Amino acid sequence: MAMQSSGAAPALPQAQRVMAAIADHRVLVSLVALALLPWLLPSKALAVNVLIYGVVVMGYNLLFGYTGLLSFGHAAFFGTGAYLTGIAIGRFGLPWFAAVPLAIAASTVLAAAIGTISTRTRGIYFSMVTLALAQLVYYVALQASSWTGGENGLRGFTVDHVNLLGLQINFLDPVNKYYVLMAFAALAIWAQSRILNSPFGAVIEAIRENEQRARACGYDVERCKLIVFMLSGAISAIGGCMSALHLSIVPLDILHYQTSGMIVMMVLLGGARSFFGPFIGAAVFLILEDVVSIWTPHWQIVVGAIFVGFVLFLPKGIWGTLLDLLPAARERR
Amino acid sequence: MDLSLIIMQLFSGIALGAVLVITALGLTIVFGMLGVVNFAHGALFMIGAYAGLYLASLTGSFWWGLLLAPLLVGAFGMLIERVLVRRLYGRSVDDPLLLTFGLSYILVEGVRIVFGSDGIPFPTPSQLIGVVDLGFGFFPKYRLFVIALVAVVLLALWLMLEKTRVGLIVRAGARDPQIMRVLGVDIGRVWLAIFGLGVGLAALGGVLAGPMRSVNPEMGTLVLAEAFVVTVIGGLGSIVGAVVAGLMVGVCISMVALFAPEMATIVMFALMAAVLLVRPQGLFGLKGRA
Amino acid sequence: MSTELLRADGIGRRFGGFTALEGITVSFAAGELTSIIGPNGAGKSTFFNILSGTLSPSTGTLRFKGQALNGLPQHRFVHRGISRSYQITNIFPDLSVHENVRVAAQAMSVSYDIWRRRADLVELSERADAALTAVGLIGKRGQQAKFLAHGQQRALEIAIALVSEPELLLLDEPTAGMGPEETKDMVALLERLAERRTVLLVEHKMKMVLGLSQRVLVLHHGRLLADGRPDDIRSNPDVRRVYLGQSEGYG
Repeated sequence: MAMQSSGAAPALPQAQRVMAAIADHRVLVSLVALALLPWLLPSKALAVNVLIYGVVVMGYNLLFGYTGLLSFGHAAFFGTGAYLTGIAIGRFGLPWFAAVPLAIAASTVLAAAIGTISTRTRGIYFSMVTLALAQLVYYVALQASSWTGGENGLRGFTVDHVNLLGLQINFLDPVNKYYVLMAFAALAIWAQSRILNSPFGAVIEAIRENEQRARACGYDVERCKLIVFMLSGAISAIGGCMSALHLSIVPLDILHYQTSGMIVMMVLLGGARSFFGPFIGAAVFLILEDVVSIWTPHWQIVVGAIFVGFVLFLPKGIWGTLLDLLPAARERR
Repeated sequence: MDLSLIIMQLFSGIALGAVLVITALGLTIVFGMLGVVNFAHGALFMIGAYAGLYLASLTGSFWWGLLLAPLLVGAFGMLIERVLVRRLYGRSVDDPLLLTFGLSYILVEGVRIVFGSDGIPFPTPSQLIGVVDLGFGFFPKYRLFVIALVAVVLLALWLMLEKTRVGLIVRAGARDPQIMRVLGVDIGRVWLAIFGLGVGLAALGGVLAGPMRSVNPEMGTLVLAEAFVVTVIGGLGSIVGAVVAGLMVGVCISMVALFAPEMATIVMFALMAAVLLVRPQGLFGLKGRA
Repeated sequence: MSTELLRADGIGRRFGGFTALEGITVSFAAGELTSIIGPNGAGKSTFFNILSGTLSPSTGTLRFKGQALNGLPQHRFVHRGISRSYQITNIFPDLSVHENVRVAAQAMSVSYDIWRRRADLVELSERADAALTAVGLIGKRGQQAKFLAHGQQRALEIAIALVSEPELLLLDEPTAGMGPEETKDMVALLERLAERRTVLLVEHKMKMVLGLSQRVLVLHHGRLLADGRPDDIRSNPDVRRVYLGQSEGYG
């Protein structure tokens, strides 16, 4: 029965050492990969989207992949981050470096509210409730049109230059924009890695593995779930801020549960419960969308089919399946 | 406030609630018996509406559409269970959820391809056009019919579950599928039938809702959220819960629409949140299921 | 004169119309190894769940070191010094053996820290290793818990409960599913553990229980039937009558 620890698979011990090194320096590796991304992809816009959705999905992965809570309402935090950034800049004239922290803080409060209600339920109930509560946020945004622009979305806020350390950067230039937004992503990635390496990171994995036992060990599981909900919402909200800064509009659909579903799909595609999975999943999804949309307007069918296929045959996603092929790397994700 | 206006709105709420009940019932029955929540439920509701419309125009009669659409879509549901969902039993509880979610994308886009993205009006059947004088006001005949039909379906379901051998098997199978196997009951066929029933009920909801709203590929998305709210309030797996919660939510939305129409949908979610804070398993749900 | 550690007063529990426990009054002294036995349906599990905080009593009070425990959520029981293991192995399957115990050790101190690197918490890691050594699993520390043999998983069960350094260790059928050899090993482990703390066991294997315990409680139909030293229990006519015809199991 003894599977690994001693005696690695005879093939490719080199590969395992590489994987281990990658895992040890995951933040650095991510940043290097992201720095190169605009030059590897066909368009800068695509690269920015990968950046944005990668961050959103990474936040979600904290909740779903690592803690095991399948929420279908994460669009609420993505969207709230975006809307509040836009409102703070457009309506209150705040500079971006004030608007963004404000938006993140407010989204975290929202996550606390939604988390308090939804963590009273478990399993399938939890998934349904998170969907419903996020849809509530959608309808509030729809109705509060004087603030949010309603169906037409939020407009009228554009950041055209960014002052960083005395340097005036033209934000409208695609390359500049990418690297400024990458700074946000770097912050999110670093925060995620920090959380996962922390004692709390161990707690959420224990909860995923065996919630009942975690409680019997002395953990206040309900409170821990609430905290991870908030952390997860905060990180995804960073993605929302990035989206608002990028597009200078916030479409209402960002709050719809179909956006939540897209986030779920991306994490499944890349591999839940892995550090690189979210960005890989976002990249694969968005590249596929770009490619398929050239041939057919019915990209949604392809999305659905791929999703169904992954659930049936590749539940660990691309990166997760890859990791499974290398035994020693399995422990360190 | 005019009393008769309030009563009319109440009746409207009951009609609205009736459709919610039928839809939520399909969801809750499948969960109660199979432990699966069908995230394609809203999409299947929408397909039911389109099927009803299509069959009605094909045969020239609404009634054929009403009868055949749930049967055909229900059969389609059985296909889904057999080919896709069944592969996931024994795996993580989340998997059927994710699968049906992906499926909904395929279904919605499929309808868009065949019928286009624009809304299509669903004509009310000629026999049900017009209003009925209820004494305190005039009420649309069609809505009265919807209430009546749903009541009949509920009765039929209750009779089937409580009084027939099939119903006994279904109820027992929900409790303990292993025993059913040992007793020689083909549990696979029971699951097939239940899933088909659940989908058929969703489709029926769609056909009934058709004349009350226009038919478009997106109509299922709100319905899914509504069905979730109703089942969570009522308690997943509880038929009584689905009925009570469905009517309650319908009436609630209707009454709120009197004073603040833009708040109507929001109130539904707020109601769910309130119930969850007090009783996480829902009004009629079993503790420990939540 | 040993100190009273845990006191149950009039503990009762109903499930709907069914009374699982009634009027259980008993106290446990520090340092004792007590076993709770009884035929199936006697209420052992219910009583055990109440003592460990998993279930709340319908009536009666529970006091630990003089302080009332009623109404406390389960995770607070652990902080007070009461730890339990499970009859059906309840571990963290995908985590390594070492991490299973380390994360349990963490619960007493740093649950909400999102900043520090947990690899820096050397003391916790050492405590985990100490617990693993105590149950004889230190050699398997890097392996994923789900790949352990059954007997080893039962040992891990106990290590997880042990690492919080409880004054009162509650073990639910620690030898469940074990054959004679494994049971002997477990008994030796339990004897070692009982040297340093108070242990309460629920068990089915009569011979093992009577050989190991200093004190035995017998439950029957939700009530306390007998309470005394193993020899007294063995010769107690009520107990013999209740167990007549019951298979003893092995051990």
